[in-house]
Amino acid sequence: MTAVRRVGSALLAPAIAVVFAVVITALVILLIGENPSTALRVLFDFGDTPAQQTQSIVVILNRAVPLFLAGLAVSVAFRMGLFNIGVEGQYRMATVLAAGAGAAVALPAPLHVLLIIVVAMAVGALWASIVAILKVTRGVSEVISSIMLNFIALGIASWLLTGPLRGSEEGAAIITTEDLPESGRFPAINGLFDVVGLAQPRGELYGFLLVAIVVGIAIAVLLKRTRFGFDLRATGLSPSAATASGIDARGMVLKTMLISGAVAGLIGLPDLMGRTHHFGTEFTAGLGFLGIAVALLGRNSPVGIAFAALLFAFLDRAAVPLQFADIPASVVTIIQGTIVLAVVVANEIARQLTRRRAERDTGQGGPPAPESPSPNPTGTAGSRIDEPQGAGA
Amino acid sequence: MAEAPAGAHPAAAANGDAPYAVELRGITKRFPGVVANRDIELRVRRGEVHAIVGENGAGKSTLMKTLYGMHRPDEGTILLDGRETTLRSPADAIAAGIGMVHQHFMLADYFTVLESIVLGSEPTSGGRLDRAEARRRIREIFSRYALNLDPDVLVEDLGVGDRQRVEIAKVLYRGATTLILDEPTAVLVPQEVDELFGNLAELKREGLTVIFISHKLDEVRKVADSITVIRRGTTVGSADPRTTTARQLAEMMVGSELPSPQTRTSTVRETPVLELRGVTVASLTGRPAVDGATLTVREGEVVGIAGVEGNGQAELVDAIMGLRPLAGGTISLGGDDISAWSTRSRREAGVGFIPEDRHRQGMLLDAPLWENRILGHQTRPPAVKGVFIDRSGARTDTERIMREYDVRAPGVDALAVALSGGNQQKLIVGREMSSGPRLLIAAHPTRGVDVGAQAAIWELLKDARAEGMGILLISADLDELIGLSDTLQVMLRGRLVAELDPASLTPEELGGHMTGAHDGSGSAA
Repeated sequence: MTAVRRVGSALLAPAIAVVFAVVITALVILLIGENPSTALRVLFDFGDTPAQQTQSIVVILNRAVPLFLAGLAVSVAFRMGLFNIGVEGQYRMATVLAAGAGAAVALPAPLHVLLIIVVAMAVGALWASIVAILKVTRGVSEVISSIMLNFIALGIASWLLTGPLRGSEEGAAIITTEDLPESGRFPAINGLFDVVGLAQPRGELYGFLLVAIVVGIAIAVLLKRTRFGFDLRATGLSPSAATASGIDARGMVLKTMLISGAVAGLIGLPDLMGRTHHFGTEFTAGLGFLGIAVALLGRNSPVGIAFAALLFAFLDRAAVPLQFADIPASVVTIIQGTIVLAVVVANEIARQLTRRRAERDTGQGGPPAPESPSPNPTGTAGSRIDEPQGAGA
Repeated sequence: MAEAPAGAHPAAAANGDAPYAVELRGITKRFPGVVANRDIELRVRRGEVHAIVGENGAGKSTLMKTLYGMHRPDEGTILLDGRETTLRSPADAIAAGIGMVHQHFMLADYFTVLESIVLGSEPTSGGRLDRAEARRRIREIFSRYALNLDPDVLVEDLGVGDRQRVEIAKVLYRGATTLILDEPTAVLVPQEVDELFGNLAELKREGLTVIFISHKLDEVRKVADSITVIRRGTTVGSADPRTTTARQLAEMMVGSELPSPQTRTSTVRETPVLELRGVTVASLTGRPAVDGATLTVREGEVVGIAGVEGNGQAELVDAIMGLRPLAGGTISLGGDDISAWSTRSRREAGVGFIPEDRHRQGMLLDAPLWENRILGHQTRPPAVKGVFIDRSGARTDTERIMREYDVRAPGVDALAVALSGGNQQKLIVGREMSSGPRLLIAAHPTRGVDVGAQAAIWELLKDARAEGMGILLISADLDELIGLSDTLQVMLRGRLVAELDPASLTPEELGGHMTGAHDGSGSAA
């Protein structure tokens, strides 16, 4: 298979999914009596002045950074066949505690930032490890336990916010933690726009973008190039073969959930350290669930997830301008939801096409036979549901 | 692929008066990437036992699925009793009087024989199962075809041979006049095979037609009235079992000289490699899956474990590999007690593993070959450097394995799923040999591979043995066990019940031990 064909088949599924989602959304907009082409124009209208246009880019990138981290956190577990639905709870716990810890200490800038990051990662990892320990020792499905832990995390986060970590005054409408001191904030990287010769935007571009890129590269290297990553992927492809090869399945569950949780811990930090400087009742919610969608769309590869995060952020940016054009902002949610649904289906179709092509290329893959069904790699996401072949007799 | 038919085409329809019960003309069936059947010609007379022989992967099963309506052929015609017929589904085939007895039984344990037989075509009265009517018809079938079964026994309590008779009765109950038996003897010991052949004779006497698929030539010659040989997806000729020797048949099947599993001289040395002392593995059902197994594998020795499948062999292998906890006993490798070691430590200490089910335990089907080379060797060069995967090292070594072990694949980037079973198995054997293990656990190493690969794997095992590797061989192929082993252990209900010398043993005697007929303690259970 040539490189072109390989890339082509990797892009095929998401491309089909996006086109499908746009068509469905257009139909929905038509149904509510508005003009789909208006919506499309709003999506791509970044503003009139150069400053407005770069501002739009900043909004997209700032939104993409947490989405990317969320997608990464989910995908690490997905690659091993674990469904970490608990990213939502992991990042909320991590963010509230990191915000509290960051506000409570005074340190020189680089150390202060580092401390907040370490606290967030540790809390995320610890919270995720509960899921792993339950699974390893008691056989509790990680799907169930991580969903349940989300509720507990939200409850604990609320209690911490209203109780020990409360920073806002009594009676304030919005309850927040105390603001991070200047030394605990992550500097913006607006200098980037001068370097590439674009107009300075109104807002600040999160410096955390750089951290996200480093984390993305680290995860990619970990998965693709290290022994640990091999063990992780092997377990995802075939747990039974992995165990027979000497991989300690329980240890892998624990380690993978720790990594996934640690990455999840970072999700809230771009907003915390770059914009709000405190955790509060208005803090960005739902990133953990969006992360599942982003990971699916990005087919669990770090590069794919980066594109998926950018696409979701691009759609999210249009939420406010759409309302100016009298189109409900939920159009964005509809597009995103349809993309995810479509991508699950398209991924499966693409996977079967790839597999079939591989068999045709060698001309020796056995014909489908009930006595030798392809064993079900209980692996990545919904895209791995093997259909029983030749379910005859 | 295009090999000229070795024999003459099936004896022309000399007696053109009576139409054939089953006639296939020019059947071709393609799957994405392969032609599974090509220009199949088959003529089966009414009231005969007609054997279809061919190696694994020759296309027998595909052909039978065509005949049973499980898929439609791309070309060719099917004639039943001289009439051209289109079979769209197994239901069509059953309606046309064709019944299939599958290699793997499809019975529910907690049903009685009667319930199993009527399942799916129950006689009803007022919406309820009419047991009296069912019993009457079943008794009639049993007595007519001399099937010795009690309709009220639970399937759970039946042996393999009886279960097979239930499957046959099930097909007869649906009015089949032509029965297809897919590798019916694969799961039977020799004594049960004889009983089956008795049943087939009864069916034939009653005018039924039997199509018997097998690759065991002696059995085929014993039971069949005529034989059609399939090789590489096409019929290469027919043979008369009375005038054809097993060797001639085999050569038609293989297209070349037959390999033999016979080992040469003994290479057994004194040093023990693997010692099991009272190894016990618990099971969910109470009786231990492996009960006090004690055996020794020495350097240069092949110890064969014979036994009907499900008597604890799989659990024993798992225990040695560290995939299942021990309930008692010790396992030592070259003097070290490895009972508490992890699977990875055992592999690193020099245990190679050819698993019974290569798809489940031996490969990552959706991963390329070079990644499969790493599997099980994640901690050792050339696959890794420190904590990193050594891509170029793994790829180079995969190329070496493909070259030395004749793994036919387009390249190291091909997905494992794209390879045939034989090539997958050769890759696994090559991989396990490449680290120079002290001990090789070979569970059914030639199962489901073609004859060329089988011969190659036997050679590899013999060479490894000569170099001093200890090999524990678990197999269901009695010839393979007798031919390769230096010592044979028989496993029955979790226990090692007999130690036999393969040099003076026939498959029939071994089969007797496997069922407990020769074993004092076994008769009680």
